[in-house]
Amino acid sequence: MLLLNNWRARTGFMTLLLVIGGFLFLPIVWMLLTSIKPEGEVFVRIPTILPHAPTLENYRALFSHSETAMQLCNSLITAGGGALLTVALSTYAAYSFAKFRYFGRKPLMFLMLSAQMFPFAMLLISVYPMLQWADLLNTRVGLIVAYIILALPSGTYMLYSYFINIPNEIIEAARVDGASEVYILHRIVLPLAIPAMVTVGLYSFMWAWNDLLFSLTLITSPELRTVGPGLLLSYLGEGRANWGGAMAESIVISLPVVLGFAFLQRYFIKGLTAGAVKS
Amino acid sequence: MSMASLPSTQSDPRAAKQRRSLKSHERRIGFAFALPSLIAFVAVILIPFLQSLKLSFYRYTIEMDTPRFVGLSNFRKLLSNPDTLSIWLNTLTFVVLTTSITLVLGLAWAVVLNQSFRGKAFLRALSLLPWVLPSTVTAFLAAWIFNGQYGILNAILLQLGVITEPVPWLAEAHSAMAAVVLTRVWVSVPLFMAFFLAGLQGVSQDQMDAARVDGCENIGVFRYVVLPHLAPTIIIVTILGAMSNLQAFDVIYALTQGGPVKATTMLSIEVYKQAFQNWDVGSACTIGVLWFLTIAIPSIFYLRILFKREN
Repeated sequence: MLLLNNWRARTGFMTLLLVIGGFLFLPIVWMLLTSIKPEGEVFVRIPTILPHAPTLENYRALFSHSETAMQLCNSLITAGGGALLTVALSTYAAYSFAKFRYFGRKPLMFLMLSAQMFPFAMLLISVYPMLQWADLLNTRVGLIVAYIILALPSGTYMLYSYFINIPNEIIEAARVDGASEVYILHRIVLPLAIPAMVTVGLYSFMWAWNDLLFSLTLITSPELRTVGPGLLLSYLGEGRANWGGAMAESIVISLPVVLGFAFLQRYFIKGLTAGAVKS
Repeated sequence: MSMASLPSTQSDPRAAKQRRSLKSHERRIGFAFALPSLIAFVAVILIPFLQSLKLSFYRYTIEMDTPRFVGLSNFRKLLSNPDTLSIWLNTLTFVVLTTSITLVLGLAWAVVLNQSFRGKAFLRALSLLPWVLPSTVTAFLAAWIFNGQYGILNAILLQLGVITEPVPWLAEAHSAMAAVVLTRVWVSVPLFMAFFLAGLQGVSQDQMDAARVDGCENIGVFRYVVLPHLAPTIIIVTILGAMSNLQAFDVIYALTQGGPVKATTMLSIEVYKQAFQNWDVGSACTIGVLWFLTIAIPSIFYLRILFKREN
């Protein structure tokens, strides 16, 4: 911890706080302010910071057509489905890698981890015809399946780091008592792992919610479009873009993930950094 | 581990046999738990990857029904195309600049938030925001700030008298690259900060006090106590950051689509455009191989670190 007992140290500290804090937060403030400005105040060369006549018109316009609500719904289904699937798959795999001894366990885990170096777009090139073959191209299910790619490897490793720290004695004691392996996992280990599972769930939900590439590639029907491409395609390429509207929509589609983090960030930071920082 | 924690049963052969079958039963169950995940991994990650590797040796464009084997022809074309080098250098510039700037800002911000002051917990939570926002949102916000006509950046610089005419930031090669880098830095600072903050928790107060007794000021304490302690974290965060910046697509594509001309076209953008706009799958996969080999460099260091930790 720094010692701020003299004038120079305090000035240095305040400068850092203001410069980096400004860099991180002022753009978001600007997004909020733009979204409540009437059109006439947005398109000026030297804008005022605060709106003269704040208005919620941009938000009203957003919900007057059903597109945004539909896209939010699509994202909720695909990101939620992808997150549930990822958590389920990675939990079983991580438990298996952490608590069982069998041939090929470590190589399998490292093979899975090495997937983080496979370029996403390159995977998509071959996932695309596969989904086409299975008749899942341009469907929500297809997108959910593809979303596994985003967080399965890293999610498995996060949960693995967590399971490793659960004492073997708990599991052994249950085995001696005659509990089945399935019972041990579901009734004894999983309740202890809920914080880590929430972390992985939120992590993969966020990846999927924020995704542009997968949805842009695998979804073509406007009625199945998710929020990322939805925002991009509705404001891109207009000669004079409706910036107020774009900022309002930006804020609305950010809210679900922002709220998720607001409630769960405590778990999250612990779970995320556990795997990468030596304790 | 599980074997060591059980009492020895060597004296009783029947019990030993029972334990052995219990062991193999346990192994089978253990493998069964991993199986669904392994199947999913093979189906949506491993096979597609190998398939795309294979396609880099094929010619496969929109007007063809089936891919045709062409050997190394795609690679020859790739290497003789002057765009290849410039795209690769764009990627390198982007990754090196983004990762290093994020590292400095993330570390500084972690040090700031490691102090105790009122509202610190709130500020820490708030700091995650740029990382949490959807990438399209980030890109739109950046496009609005860097907007050549009505952007706030131009307005501020005009007011301060730094520039006399508005600058079309996203329409010129160097400033577009700078904008893309800054936007990506903005997204990644929170994550780096979180890792460093976790690392800072472990710095020993005694060592810091000792350094102060030896006459160190803040800078000295940071240099001789904090930094060495954080070294392993810095290494892994740099590697992970470089890997994810090499993968970056969404923010760049939504902000500039790789333009102006090809000034912000990274490997990720080029693969996407070749594959899903030109539908030249063979060429896309060939660039993909170059991309994969580039990501492999930091990845190998990452896997080595994990491997050492596990053994």
